[in-house]
Amino acid sequence: MGKTAFIGRLKTSALLIVVAVDLLSGVTAHASGPAFPLTTKSPEARGLADEAVNLFFERLETPAAVAKLHKAVAADGQFAMAHQLLSIVTMDTAEQIAEQQKAFATRQFAGPAEQAVIQWHQDSADRKSIDAITGMNEVLRQYPQDKLVVYLCVWWLFSQSQLDRALAVLDQSGILDSPGMLNAKAYTQAHLRQYDKAVETIAKYAASLPNEPNSQDSYGEMLRFAGRFDESIQHYQAALKIDPSFYPSQFGIADSFSLKGDQAQARREYAAGFEKFHPAEQDEVRFRVREATTYVRESDWQGADRAFQAIADREHARQSSQLEADIYRQIALYQPDAKQGLRFLDKANAVLANAKTAIRRDIQHEDANILRARVQLEARLHDKVSAMANLDRLRQMAQTSNDSVIERFYHGASGVLLYAEGDYNQAIAHLEQDTGNLFSLQLLVYAYEKSGDLTSARRAYATLAACNETSVEHALVVLPFRKCHQAGSCEAGSQRLF
Amino acid sequence: MVTAIVVFFAGLAQAKQLAVVVDKENQTDNVSTAELANILNGKTKTWADGKPIKIIMRDPSSRDAELVFRRLLNTTPDQVRTFMQEHPGLIVLAGSDAEVLRLTSVVRGAIGFVDLYSLTKDVKIIKIDRRLPFDVDYLLKGGD
Repeated sequence: MGKTAFIGRLKTSALLIVVAVDLLSGVTAHASGPAFPLTTKSPEARGLADEAVNLFFERLETPAAVAKLHKAVAADGQFAMAHQLLSIVTMDTAEQIAEQQKAFATRQFAGPAEQAVIQWHQDSADRKSIDAITGMNEVLRQYPQDKLVVYLCVWWLFSQSQLDRALAVLDQSGILDSPGMLNAKAYTQAHLRQYDKAVETIAKYAASLPNEPNSQDSYGEMLRFAGRFDESIQHYQAALKIDPSFYPSQFGIADSFSLKGDQAQARREYAAGFEKFHPAEQDEVRFRVREATTYVRESDWQGADRAFQAIADREHARQSSQLEADIYRQIALYQPDAKQGLRFLDKANAVLANAKTAIRRDIQHEDANILRARVQLEARLHDKVSAMANLDRLRQMAQTSNDSVIERFYHGASGVLLYAEGDYNQAIAHLEQDTGNLFSLQLLVYAYEKSGDLTSARRAYATLAACNETSVEHALVVLPFRKCHQAGSCEAGSQRLF
Repeated sequence: MVTAIVVFFAGLAQAKQLAVVVDKENQTDNVSTAELANILNGKTKTWADGKPIKIIMRDPSSRDAELVFRRLLNTTPDQVRTFMQEHPGLIVLAGSDAEVLRLTSVVRGAIGFVDLYSLTKDVKIIKIDRRLPFDVDYLLKGGD
């Protein structure tokens, strides 16, 4: 492995070194074709950037990658691509914005290809989305097999929730020797609900990193998505054998038991996880929600209320308003009495109104998600006036925010109301834009059926029936959906549609 | 602690957005839903300047093509198959979005339908009912 300085030129009294990216291994290697340059006057900064890219994209070690990039920009403050990478890699929203600005401000010290990458991300930040798309595709056309460029494209497409296109870029790159890309591909396939393909891909990833707990953990997760719960548990156990402190696998075991239908064992596994480990705060909330969801799967509403309320109280004490509000939203969804559900949504709104520490975008998303739930519950209560008023609010939010997440909530809520009114074709047009939500996907199955499109109904049915997710929505929608279809007595209206 | 990249999928997959594209010499900037439907069903055969229209899209059984037909002609996938048999030669089929873009950029009078995120500078995107793909009520969004 070696780095070769192949071009040197003088610029404002400093020697700029463009270091070739012709490494034998590491992420900046390329399968064939031209290599993407990284321009810096500091060989040290270049080395740090290479390490950061490898840590982030190949090994998914975000904090370590951020630390390397901090050092890189300290070594060369005019290293525009290091600023750009830091903007992409950091989890700190303020730093994302600041580093994007620095990348743009220092772009004159970079070469044309780097400038094109920076311009594309700047256009994205400025919401010039079509310019950003064409900019990305132009860079990709010039460097179709360069690992860094492919990664940048895929990560940006992830940030836009464009998984179909991300998968196409990964496939077209022809890069087969990158563990990070295999991992990314498997998760993309899983989230596109192509579970068998995801298992096939993750098997290759696991084979490429046989001694890494994350590879076994990811393998377990893909098998869980595919409904192969016993095998999933075996791979989670393998991850823990490699690294007994790798706590996601302990909770993965619990998830698999829960989805398999053994809620008592699932709860024992969650409890063991909380006893042995101290997960990071956001992880802990996710795992506790999953633990609470075991009661929803058993239709034990009182047990669910107790478990979810305990989480809400914990988040209240932590002043995590958005998370607390979201817990109340989830409680609202499973309430057998929709009026009681609306009272929990009132609580969620009250918590959100007093949010002091949450990021504004997170509050907007939660606010929109609560509105979506309101429309859903009001539709269940046949309260059309309230539902229409809340849909109007959601529509205004969608039109003014230019935010795809809020837009999805709007389409989901519109689909509910149109379905309730019997306008199935219009309902389909909206529900098709919110298929990540399992309530919407279920309604879509019935809307297709009622509109006479049985081919699409069968396809959506197969997608829904094959879902194995850990969410409350899954517990409320997929399990009853499977049951009634297996019994052969399933008709729209026999389940909780809204 | 290394965890899987699930964090990037917090929002799950966004609905597919299809762009309507034409060659860069085409003077059209906007079409109405009705005009686009008439182009797709073969009733409108030429542009305002008299150039013949060539429709270019992916295989009609692809999800993208299903979306176009559903939104414009209100047809199911089964009806699309029948439509294609009844209108041979109306639509030029391309194997990929890249091919749709390439053909649209070189064939004068072409109109193509592509995944918005495949868009390149080789073609011109046109509005539908004055809306672009990022607008909330844009017509060609969806896909289950």
